[in-house]
Amino acid sequence: VELLPERLAWYIAGPLIGLLVVALYAVANKHLGVTTSYLQVMTFVKSPRTAEMWRVWLFAGLVGGSLIAAFLKGGPSPNFTYGALGNLLPIAAIVPVLFVGGMLMGFRARWGGGCTSGHGITGAAILSRGALVGIVTIMATAIGITLIVHLITGGRL
Amino acid sequence: MNLFVILIGMAFGFLIVASGLSSYTVIHDMLLLRGSDVFLLMGSSFAVAMLRRRKWKTPMAGELSLNQVPNERKHVFGGAIFGAGWATAGTCPGPAIGMTASGGLLGLVVMAGLGSGIILRNLVAGNIFSRRDPPLDQAQPATNS
Repeated sequence: VELLPERLAWYIAGPLIGLLVVALYAVANKHLGVTTSYLQVMTFVKSPRTAEMWRVWLFAGLVGGSLIAAFLKGGPSPNFTYGALGNLLPIAAIVPVLFVGGMLMGFRARWGGGCTSGHGITGAAILSRGALVGIVTIMATAIGITLIVHLITGGRL
Repeated sequence: MNLFVILIGMAFGFLIVASGLSSYTVIHDMLLLRGSDVFLLMGSSFAVAMLRRRKWKTPMAGELSLNQVPNERKHVFGGAIFGAGWATAGTCPGPAIGMTASGGLLGLVVMAGLGSGIILRNLVAGNIFSRRDPPLDQAQPATNS
């Protein structure tokens, strides 16, 4: 059964995500961001006692909440598709490409202290200058590269 | 407190998947400037996230501490690196979890890449698996997390 629409409207999801930022400040005085949760999960696996547990719990929540939404959308159906990128590249090529893409984001988010959520929503909302510059640069670069690749591939990507 | 954090994480994960942010196609279309709804989504989260007083005694965690970081070169160069990764994978750290949970198993590859990038960064900085938060979080006071 599909209890959720294909896509929840932005004017519902957007404000609710904003409220989560405020909620995390309210209950924990913490800054909502996802990348540091990856780090703390890895830290937890290596030596549980040194991990910052709230970030590990946040990660666990993200996994749980994603699964709930996936089930309400009709159940997660395991697949190896990847949109237009998946149509263009064979699986042997897409794996290293995605790995490197992830690596760039992980390296940078850890270095600059923010990803799309940490900079783009939380950091920008507290009017942190670094975060504002960060998200503007992230957006401009991502859009620029995507449009250039779109042109180079003749619109296939 | 951790119970609330789990619930916040769950709500975040739920909204990421429910709103389609975990879909490569949705993000890729946004980066191609084909639609405005993801921009509107981010903009409205940003606007709502601003709804808090500058001096705010939070209900459960003391005086609100915000850490506004000044602009540094790393935000520009680093932002460009992140943007390149985002454009390549069409997903970012939170949505990659949602993608994997929705059955898009290649999301696991992105997640593995993210983990490796984080470790690589920490190796370069010489503090693998450090407890230290990145600058954005550094000035936060100790709370009983």
